[in-house]
Amino acid sequence: MTLWNYYHTPASVDEALELLRSYAGKARVIAGGTDLLLDIRQGHLPPPEALIDITRIGELCDLHQDGDWLVLGAGVTHTRIVSTDLIAARATCLVESCGVVGGPQVRNVGTLGGNVAHALPAGDGTTSLVALDAEAEVILDGERRWYPIRELFVGPGMSLLDPTRDLLIRFRFKLSGPYEATAFKRIMRPQGVALPILGCAAWVRLDESGEYYADVRLCIGPVDRVPVRAEAVEAALCGQPVGSDAVERAIQAAHEGLHPRTSRYRATAEYRDEMIDVLLRRVLPLAAERAQTGQAVPEGVGIE
Amino acid sequence: MEQKNLLIGQSVRRMDAVGKVTGETPYPGDIDLPDQLWMKVRFSDRVHARVTAIDASRAEAYPGVVAVFTAKDVPVNEYGLSMPDQPVLCGPGSGKEGADIVRCVSDQVALVVAETEEIAAAAVKLIDITYEDLPIVSDIFEAMADGAPQLHAHAPNNILIHYKLRHGDIDSAWDQADVIVEGEYRTGYQEHAYLQPEAGLGYIDDEGRVTVLVAGQWVHEDREQVAHALGLPEEQVRIIYPAIGGAFGGREDMSVQITLALAAMKLRRPIKIIWSREESMIGHHKRHPMVIRARWGATREGRVVAAEATAYADAGGYAYTTTKVLGNAHLMVSGPYEIPNVRVDTYGVYTNNIPTGAFRGFGGPQGAFAAEGQMNKLAEALNMDPVELRALNVLREGSLMSVGSPLPPGVTLDKVLAEGAAQSGYWQSTEDGWKRLPVEQPANPARRRGVGMAMGFKNVGFSFGAPEQNWATVEIHGGAEIERVVVHEAGADVGQGAHTVFVQMVAAATGVPIEKVELIGHDTAYTGNSGSTSASRMTFMAGNAIKGAAELAMEKWQHEERPAIATYQYRPPRTTAYDPETGQADPNFAYGYMAQFVEVEVDLETGQVEVVRVVSAHDVGRAINPTQIEGQVEGGVIQALGYAIMEDLITQDGRVLNPYLSTYLIPTIWDVPREVKSVILEYADPRGPWGARGMAEMPFIPLAPAITAAVCDATGVWIDRIPLTPERVVLSLREQGIGAI
Ligand SMILES: Cc1cc2nc3c(=O)[nH]c(=O)nc-3n(C[C@H](O)[C@H](O)[C@H](O)COP(=O)(O)OP(=O)(O)OC[C@H]3O[C@@H](n4cnc5c(N)ncnc54)[C@H](O)[C@@H]3O)c2cc1C
Repeated sequence: MTLWNYYHTPASVDEALELLRSYAGKARVIAGGTDLLLDIRQGHLPPPEALIDITRIGELCDLHQDGDWLVLGAGVTHTRIVSTDLIAARATCLVESCGVVGGPQVRNVGTLGGNVAHALPAGDGTTSLVALDAEAEVILDGERRWYPIRELFVGPGMSLLDPTRDLLIRFRFKLSGPYEATAFKRIMRPQGVALPILGCAAWVRLDESGEYYADVRLCIGPVDRVPVRAEAVEAALCGQPVGSDAVERAIQAAHEGLHPRTSRYRATAEYRDEMIDVLLRRVLPLAAERAQTGQAVPEGVGIE
Repeated sequence: MEQKNLLIGQSVRRMDAVGKVTGETPYPGDIDLPDQLWMKVRFSDRVHARVTAIDASRAEAYPGVVAVFTAKDVPVNEYGLSMPDQPVLCGPGSGKEGADIVRCVSDQVALVVAETEEIAAAAVKLIDITYEDLPIVSDIFEAMADGAPQLHAHAPNNILIHYKLRHGDIDSAWDQADVIVEGEYRTGYQEHAYLQPEAGLGYIDDEGRVTVLVAGQWVHEDREQVAHALGLPEEQVRIIYPAIGGAFGGREDMSVQITLALAAMKLRRPIKIIWSREESMIGHHKRHPMVIRARWGATREGRVVAAEATAYADAGGYAYTTTKVLGNAHLMVSGPYEIPNVRVDTYGVYTNNIPTGAFRGFGGPQGAFAAEGQMNKLAEALNMDPVELRALNVLREGSLMSVGSPLPPGVTLDKVLAEGAAQSGYWQSTEDGWKRLPVEQPANPARRRGVGMAMGFKNVGFSFGAPEQNWATVEIHGGAEIERVVVHEAGADVGQGAHTVFVQMVAAATGVPIEKVELIGHDTAYTGNSGSTSASRMTFMAGNAIKGAAELAMEKWQHEERPAIATYQYRPPRTTAYDPETGQADPNFAYGYMAQFVEVEVDLETGQVEVVRVVSAHDVGRAINPTQIEGQVEGGVIQALGYAIMEDLITQDGRVLNPYLSTYLIPTIWDVPREVKSVILEYADPRGPWGARGMAEMPFIPLAPAITAAVCDATGVWIDRIPLTPERVVLSLREQGIGAI
């Protein structure tokens, strides 16, 4: 089966845009190809005339610290994210989520940008970016601008990006500071083949006593057609003392506000519902402990 | 002469190792022929329907299309390994009654042959098929009910087969039982998921034979099936297997063989096809899902006195090897135990689901799941150690099976059980019998460890009166010294290493180094019929044939014949079929025996089950090549682990919802236990070549019930339904008030 006719490796954003333009909707952006090639092979997408590989564009492979911010190119691979100490220490959830995507082969070529552009409600990297309140820089119909990450998603598998025309360039988010920390866990057999049954990323800021939740951002997926913040749960936690009572409050709020669905070959709504409890019990205390101690060692990377 | 037999027991490196590891070895899909065309299949769009019309004009008009074939083009439009109940192509015009009906999604309706694969793929969608839908029956119990849609005229109430077994007097036996345990056991589908999806080439060879180059399990059976459907004498059909990328029973029935041969015969040009993974998962049969209701009774002292079971298996739309698979399940559902009173009814039922058939263990795993579950529950009810209970009840030399005949000589169930238990590290033999050692628990209270065990037996070779034989020819070339030994043996090397073992056995029997042995393998033009690579039979059967031929050739060599050539047909002792009313039989001529010991860790919150360690003990009679045996043990254990806890083919109204390996999850390296220990025991089978027994299915068979026993040990809950998906585990635990909430 022919999956494409022409393969281009532009060296700049302009060149990539020019190539996309010249194919007039018949070319498609490819990064690691770990989602795209499956979609083509399984017939969900017709084979494009050309593939435009963005992984050799400097700007998309850039990764640098800018004060308290991290700037991360859309073409950075999961493996590179996992092996970056700064991210492990100050955006721990992202390492924990990128570290469980597929297996080593998938992580070596799969990119964070691809994970986001694929726009699934439970992409592991995406879940953490939402909790980190990241922003994404995109070129939409020729115009470059930053969007809050959540605004990119339109529906399952759909984002504002038209991958025959547009580019996702990079992400930026604030690294965690004093009394801040993150954690990510997912429910899935650790076997490296598929998306999670349920994933959960949390960002927390404690007050200066280290005993109360001052601010929380939580992303649990899939519970909706797009990745969402669990705002009711966040609100239930703010101002509460760190501890099991707070977690139970969070669980209660989650049951009132979040309604995961049954997917026929992955899990029922009832199972997912119960796993929300399990994830909150595992993620919240871990994030809080990291915020209290200022120490964060990623868990489960590469094996889960 | 003294160096003879030295090679037996050596882990000789596999002949195919380098080629396969470097990628040089061609599998069917890797081979191209000049001037070849490509073929695509139009599988049925419906689950159950009458095909009233097929309009191929749009496909035929598509540029690059060479031909479209439908039912009317098939000379004898039927096939099937145990009975010809499936049309080669479903649709009107073939003259075969009922061939216009599609009965499941595996049915094929039309073939497109084109200049390229892309053209064939595009054109196959352009065939306009008119269906008249028929009612779908996708549940075995509904299918058996009066008034259900009837799939085949020969099977009233869709009952394809009903085996009975009546041994002793079950009705009065319950009075002798101090404890009685009951259970309903459910097992799921399983997909073979071999590395190499179906592929092949059809062409006309130099001698004018319709030739199919393909991966299968039995070249001569493929030839018979192809010849039958094409209306040709067998001599005009030739089957060749290049390297075979796994089989596990999934290649016993026809996939691309007949359609490739048909197109090659009609077009006189080479035809190539490669099925996608999705086509493979839809296009070939699965392991039978079964519902087994069992009731067993034992005395306070631990003697099993009664076993009753009713087993229902979903055969899907066609028979495939259902009668054979259920023959084994019927025997194994009462376990390898001496039970004086047994009553079993086993039903195979047609439905509009995907067909089911042979898969490693042939009904043995389903039978063992119920039998070993019952034994483990009896042990619990009697407050007795499960090893101890088995030691009391296993079949011994001369004891009668439920079918009223003894096992063949060389019964070692007691030894396999004892040595396996002792070497497992989980059990200890004490003055008061077998005792379990405690298992260390993780610090996290949500993660609980447990240990379980199960055992089993499995026939080697064709059973129940099926004709059983294997031909081999050995040629010894040279002058004063042997220069070269050529062996003709058709037995399929499906990836398990049969060819290496054949060569090893030839070398051993003729006293030459293996480098001097040349194998002429699976090609019907150069080999005699050796039967299928299934039922753990090839080392045993081909070994006996090779040994016989080599010994005859050596005799001729000694009498100065040059070259010394001998052909030998090995025929094992005769077996007999089940008596239709009582099930009494002498079913098999050889067996393998096994016992497994498993440690699991269960996450009580998420329901995830991790298999931490497996100890698998086997009497292999004689380990011709110990490393290959370990390969079979490890592979079998991991395949069974997938069956027991992960592999979940989801169907709805006859359709498969997850025909991809991204949604039908099979084990990966992370699912592999930290240790799989092979305990290889060698108690010679007096009938086996150099004492060897078959062993390749055995590591699969008791694993699922050993795992459920370990899960119960960890959690206190019996889960009698596999696969143990996290969801099912959580549900079962919560029902008993265990875990979160
Ligand atoms: C075996 C296997 C296991 C997997 N396991 C997981 C898992 O556990 N968790 C998980 O979240 N995912 C998993 N995935 C999915 C996939 O690997 C990830 O989503 C990965 O991050 C996708 O990145 P990619 O670079 O390969 O994207 P690609 O496949 O190259 O692209 C995905 C989509 O995004 C578009 N795109 C990519 N980059 C850009 C860009 N810069 N600008 C505009 N459009 C773009 C493409 O056109 C395409 O539509 C798995 C995949 C496989 C094959």
